[in-house]
Amino acid sequence: MKVSLSAQNVVKRYGGVVALADGNLDVESGEVVAFLGANGSGKSTLSKIVTGVVAPDEGTVLLDGQPVTFPSPQTAKKAGVTAVYQELSLIPDMTVAENIWLGHEPLQFGLRVNKAEVRRRTEALLALFAGTYHESLQPDAPVGALPPDEKQLVEILKALSLEPRLMILDEATASLDGRQVNRLFELIADWKKRDMAIVFVSHRMDEIMRVADRATVLRNGRTIGSRVIAETTEQELVEMMIEAGEAVPHHREAIAAEGQPAGVRLSVRQLRTSVLQGIDLTVRDGELLGIGGLQGQGQADLLLAVFGAIPFSGEITLSGQNVHFTHPRQAMQQDVAFVPGDRANEGLLLRRSILENFQLPSWRKYGFPLKINSARADATTTADELSLVRESLDAPVSSLSGGNAQKVVIGKWLLRTPNLLLLNDPTKGVDVGAKGEFYNLLVELRQQGTAILFYSSDDDELLGLCDRVLVLHDGRITAKLSGESLTHAELVTASMGTMQENGT
Amino acid sequence: MNTTFQKITLRHPYLFALGLLVIALGVNFYLQPNLFEQRVLSGNLRIFLPLMILTAGQAIVIMGGGLDLSVGTMVSMVNAILVTWITRESTGAEIATAIAVGASAGMLAGLFNGLCVSYLRLQPIVTTYATSFIYAGVALWILPRPGGLMPSELTKFYRSNPAGIPLMIWVAALLILLWVGLRGTRYGRYMFAVGGQAEAAYATGVPVSLMRLSTYVIAGLMAAFAALALTLSTGTGDPRIGDAMTLPSIVAVVLGGTRLSGGQGGIAGSLIGVVILGTIRNIISFADVPTWWQTFVDASIIIVALAAPGLIRLIRRRQTQL
Repeated sequence: MKVSLSAQNVVKRYGGVVALADGNLDVESGEVVAFLGANGSGKSTLSKIVTGVVAPDEGTVLLDGQPVTFPSPQTAKKAGVTAVYQELSLIPDMTVAENIWLGHEPLQFGLRVNKAEVRRRTEALLALFAGTYHESLQPDAPVGALPPDEKQLVEILKALSLEPRLMILDEATASLDGRQVNRLFELIADWKKRDMAIVFVSHRMDEIMRVADRATVLRNGRTIGSRVIAETTEQELVEMMIEAGEAVPHHREAIAAEGQPAGVRLSVRQLRTSVLQGIDLTVRDGELLGIGGLQGQGQADLLLAVFGAIPFSGEITLSGQNVHFTHPRQAMQQDVAFVPGDRANEGLLLRRSILENFQLPSWRKYGFPLKINSARADATTTADELSLVRESLDAPVSSLSGGNAQKVVIGKWLLRTPNLLLLNDPTKGVDVGAKGEFYNLLVELRQQGTAILFYSSDDDELLGLCDRVLVLHDGRITAKLSGESLTHAELVTASMGTMQENGT
Repeated sequence: MNTTFQKITLRHPYLFALGLLVIALGVNFYLQPNLFEQRVLSGNLRIFLPLMILTAGQAIVIMGGGLDLSVGTMVSMVNAILVTWITRESTGAEIATAIAVGASAGMLAGLFNGLCVSYLRLQPIVTTYATSFIYAGVALWILPRPGGLMPSELTKFYRSNPAGIPLMIWVAALLILLWVGLRGTRYGRYMFAVGGQAEAAYATGVPVSLMRLSTYVIAGLMAAFAALALTLSTGTGDPRIGDAMTLPSIVAVVLGGTRLSGGQGGIAGSLIGVVILGTIRNIISFADVPTWWQTFVDASIIIVALAAPGLIRLIRRRQTQL
């Protein structure tokens, strides 16, 4: 049965943030449309709208020419639209077969699950990927014990078991190895012949060039355009993803003029965690080192390992001394500060006062009983330095605007005068004005000689603020950009284009 | 991770309990050599039956990812209803009505728990702890002081051995049979899915709230049947009779190989857990140890069960670091 889906002028806002400003997507039977865009361009939002996970604020979705609304993923599934997501929707304690058929198990007498039938159909599905997985992947194997690539296969088969007419593969190849990807692409070719429509979301340019018929590019929440793959180049697609002549916050020139900074503050050798595959880097006093790349490539792990919050192996030297922190407190005693990305959960006690939030890491300094007046005086000084807009220091943090709350997150560490500041995507969800003030603060700190390690999912921030940027992918550094090479094109290409094939 | 080990423990969660049972019975037999005589054995089994029925309901709630701290006072409440409704002169129809009313009261109490937990999204432990006082209050309101007498035909039936096999064995077999049937339906799959990973289940289209609600209703119904068994066993009423059964019902589920966080487990193991607990109780009374040790043992089992996964993870982490 033929199918066509068309999303037109779709808008989605989260609070004040516009995730999708003008999303458009057309796909029909027998074609593979690749969906491309940098971090935060709105790809996932549009995929979620099409599959009913998220409801759009404006715009229309046409299925077979008829306007439809999907209030839940189930209604989309019934209409034949299904998705394979990266964040797995599998239940670890249940078996492969139970997971694949959960919710649409073949029944006996309309009551009991027909185990023989479930097993037979699961085997038939697994046979599609025969030879690309370990023997342990059996219909009755518990999913929790499977390696990530096989979990991803199960996820794909689960979507396939619904016999969809339109399938969205959202980064479905990210954890698959080369053979599995090849097999998937053969299957996609076969599905195309059977009139299935496929939307392929991937960060791997080579895969897009291989499998897609068309590419639709998003940038800043807007669909920029579509290209037929046979008539375009990787170069052209990357350029479409980058906004030409875009205004970036240019703090960088001002910094570069001040000459080379002094001693090495932090040096990392062969850092390994469950995600990181051996990272080497150094940060000097007064240097702002950026960490870039696609989200979830080990950037957070890197910061957490340096801060002693997760176990790691490798060598870390701080101010010339070998250190191996096993608890954040040890790092704090060495004047290392960590600003988490999840402000509401990790950075602030929302219901407590500004004063308490400021002083939480520093109460020790104020003795017993607490010298509350001197604590208040210090907090006032910092609050003034940050030009924190506040009613009083006793007002709860939840009464502050997003940008001002962010100042408290950083301010509480400034009271300890850190010499190494670790920032984990600190401007996520912060409005533009507050971002500007935050940038000024960073520049000031580095002028005072603080070494800063700065992960951001916003490429413009990295370009505008950092002296050097390391691009991470799959837990490895894939590019070191600085000076002339630190451009938007280089940054995007390093995260997307020049990726090695995933080893088997 | 060891896949075969995982597979076996997933499919047969009661194996560990079975081993523990053999040890406990051995110790009990050493202290009480007449343990396996027909009279002693069926006397013991009769005492286990109410907790067994209660535990079956608790197991369903726990496997579905919840916990019910009010099952004990539900037993008290239904016990109070039964003894005030049924007198020595009650006719068969009256007794049937009383049982129906008791069963409905249990289900209503479970429904209330379930509504709070699944639709108001209240935390199960706090919610059911709070509601347990409601049901305890209702029990005291209906039956202010212990009393009442069951017709002797009923208590005699409870002591009977239909077809030469103690009643308890029949009931246990029925419970396991019902469980095996339930596990094989879509309901069983949904229950494990909700207990295992509620978000993933929701994303797959499992009616998560309805499932949670239903597990509490089942627990309420089982509490009512447990109360019936207990009333027949003692032949009288006491508004606090079931209050102390909540902790053992959870301990038995844990002993039976069901994880407290849900998503895995079974009824057979939970029933074995009840027998283990009863046996430990026997051991304690025959070893001349003060009876409060029983509560200490119950509590320790829960603490160990809660801490075990964390400890195992910690040890693993230490090992990988070295």
